[in-house]
Amino acid sequence: MIIVTGASKGLGRAICERLLSSRLEIFGLSRDVSNVPFESMHCDVSSYHDVKNVAHALKHKGKKISGLINAAGIASMNLAVTTPPKVAEKIITVNLLGTIYCCQLLSPMIFRHKAGSIINFSSLGVALGLKGESIYVASKAGVEGFTRAFAREMADFNVNVNCIAPGPIETSLLKGVSQVQISKVVAQQILQKQFTPEAVCDLVEILLAPKSKALSGQVLHVGGV
Amino acid sequence: MTDSDKLKQKIYTTVAALLEDDSKIVSDNTPLIGDDRALDSMKLLELCLALEDMATDLGFEFDWTSENAMSKSRSMFRTAGALATEFLSQMTDKK
Repeated sequence: MIIVTGASKGLGRAICERLLSSRLEIFGLSRDVSNVPFESMHCDVSSYHDVKNVAHALKHKGKKISGLINAAGIASMNLAVTTPPKVAEKIITVNLLGTIYCCQLLSPMIFRHKAGSIINFSSLGVALGLKGESIYVASKAGVEGFTRAFAREMADFNVNVNCIAPGPIETSLLKGVSQVQISKVVAQQILQKQFTPEAVCDLVEILLAPKSKALSGQVLHVGGV
Repeated sequence: MTDSDKLKQKIYTTVAALLEDDSKIVSDNTPLIGDDRALDSMKLLELCLALEDMATDLGFEFDWTSENAMSKSRSMFRTAGALATEFLSQMTDKK
């Protein structure tokens, strides 16, 4: 079974649908699972208590967990100096602490089998240092650093930990971002086109597959930088 | 020997099974973290999983994510004795 956070919409939902179509068993986590048509559970990843409840529930299910995909995340386009403290805190809590909590509490169910794959999500914004996204970029830079160090901690257990860093992908996360802004970012990619969630799903499948067992602690940039 | 003593011995046997040097005797003062630690990080996590399974068999959940998990002076992992004490304390509190 593979756990996917942020499973109700956006990239997380697209990943779930792709993996389901590949006949993999999925367990989705989201703050709102009312419209999730596969096995799922309520979970706000920024709540240690919520994530712990998920770990507890999964333990009782007795399912073998082979993967964790931390796709839950929020974005906010704003200059650092004009970002309200509560917004800054929320971005860091959901994106960075949410990823850390899920890795801390759910990875023991993976590493006890001495095999598996954990995929975290960063952003092309980290490598590009995107203006107007400094706090979001800070949260994702934290995810990248965590991924590299956590990959070493998991290496003894044959669990690979990698990070996918997409550019502007067509999802609800881009709501409110103008086409001009998107084009400016895309122009900085090596492959100068806006990718769809399908490209991210392809990478997820690669990182879950045994053929990628030589990769750990890496950040894969969708579109290239 | 009381049930608590038996359980403590079982924990020490679990620690001993993870040691590379099987001639080493695990006692209350055997350090699990720090410079003189008996276990590397991988073995420490394997010990956590073993204690989790032991707790499940005993009908409670062992929580190894203590606030002081990495504090050398207060961590439950500072010695085998401290770990056994914490395990027994969680068992008493949660059962």
